Amino acid sequence: MAYQFDWSVLWQYRGMLLQGFSYTLGLSLIGLCGAIAVGVIVGTGGTSARRWLRAACGGYVEVCRNIPLLVHMYFWYLGLSALKLPSFWCAILALAIYSGAYVAEVVRAGIQSVPRGQEAAGLASGLTRRQALLYIVYPQALRMVAPSMAGIFSQLIKDSSLASVISVAELTFQAGAIEGITFRTFEAYIGISVAYLLIVTTISQTTLFMFHRRATDVGDRF
Amino acid sequence: MNFAVVWRNLPYLLQGLGVTLQTAALVILGGTVFGVALGVVRTSRIPLLRQVAIAYIEAIRGTPLLVVLFVVYFGLPPIIGYKFTAYQASVIGFILFIGAYIVEDYRSGLASVPRGQIEAGLASGLTVGQVLCCITLPQAIRRMIPTLFNQFVRLLKFTSVASVIGVTELTGAALAVNAREFQPIEIILTLAVSYFVVCYALSLVGRWLNTRYAIQT
Repeated sequence: MAYQFDWSVLWQYRGMLLQGFSYTLGLSLIGLCGAIAVGVIVGTGGTSARRWLRAACGGYVEVCRNIPLLVHMYFWYLGLSALKLPSFWCAILALAIYSGAYVAEVVRAGIQSVPRGQEAAGLASGLTRRQALLYIVYPQALRMVAPSMAGIFSQLIKDSSLASVISVAELTFQAGAIEGITFRTFEAYIGISVAYLLIVTTISQTTLFMFHRRATDVGDRF
Repeated sequence: MNFAVVWRNLPYLLQGLGVTLQTAALVILGGTVFGVALGVVRTSRIPLLRQVAIAYIEAIRGTPLLVVLFVVYFGLPPIIGYKFTAYQASVIGFILFIGAYIVEDYRSGLASVPRGQIEAGLASGLTVGQVLCCITLPQAIRRMIPTLFNQFVRLLKFTSVASVIGVTELTGAALAVNAREFQPIEIILTLAVSYFVVCYALSLVGRWLNTRYAIQT
């Protein structure tokens, strides 16, 4: 163990790290919104009464989940390089489509966990199908699936590190750059691990706090 | 679209697929064993060991795989004074990474066996070891099959990340072919289909095992 640790490089290159941090945050948040949008649509489609729609949504989930995220990214970045999409948006598309498939499965399970009578009662009392979904099924499903959602969200944040491979200047990319300048590999990567830990914990705890806590309220009321 | 490029480079791509499958097999074996070791340490009677294991599991679960690979491949050598090859580093990194997830699956699987059964076993005179291997494990393992196979499929997909540190597995091979021939759409689509086939097959095995050994109630 002749290695001398030198953590000062993290402070010295704080500008790069901060920039990387903001890119990672941007990737995660926009990717998250995209994944939720995809997931809610595909997941709801998966509970549809129409057989072809169920099959299509199931197919989407299987295809997107069984292809590595890295390949998703290369698909937009290399495969469709003729489109000349900026690498940042390639990464967002890949994250939204890939994680959307996971969100869809959770949404589907959540919707199916709401007793059918709830929706039927809504329809019987004169709500349209969309209103019944929006005001009766979704709110209950959401509370049910909050823990799995928190898991998927933290996964997505960590997955965003793969965007560095298609040269998005996020945290992992910046750590690589700092390593290139200083040869302080260990310090750089441990430093950004802590940053990831911070983002992951914040987002997953927020998700749990916002939705899961209310689940017990509902339980108390009924 | 002209898929001749794929046929031309088929042997090379298949070799890459071989490396991918070999890596996945090694990591599944290694990760399963490492998960057990982590679980043993985490439930150890010595508080310090327990804390170390918990800290390790939490730290790994909060860190992206790519960062773990970089630490093993680039960060560790100056500290331990030994340089891994890219392949060794990727296998070690994957095992270190996936072990922290597998140990949690073990925990939830073991916790799913009702306590009353364990107590009943002990009360009827079985030893702790007998309770574990005749009552707890047979049920827990069956309940773990779906989550474990999810983990294995995840891991199979993760092996693509090894291409980033220069392992010529399937993704690495495809990228090399693309660099030579530049037909990205054909090559990336082939890559996607190959991963889909392999991963879907593995998840089907999981489903089959799950129905085959489901707990009859």
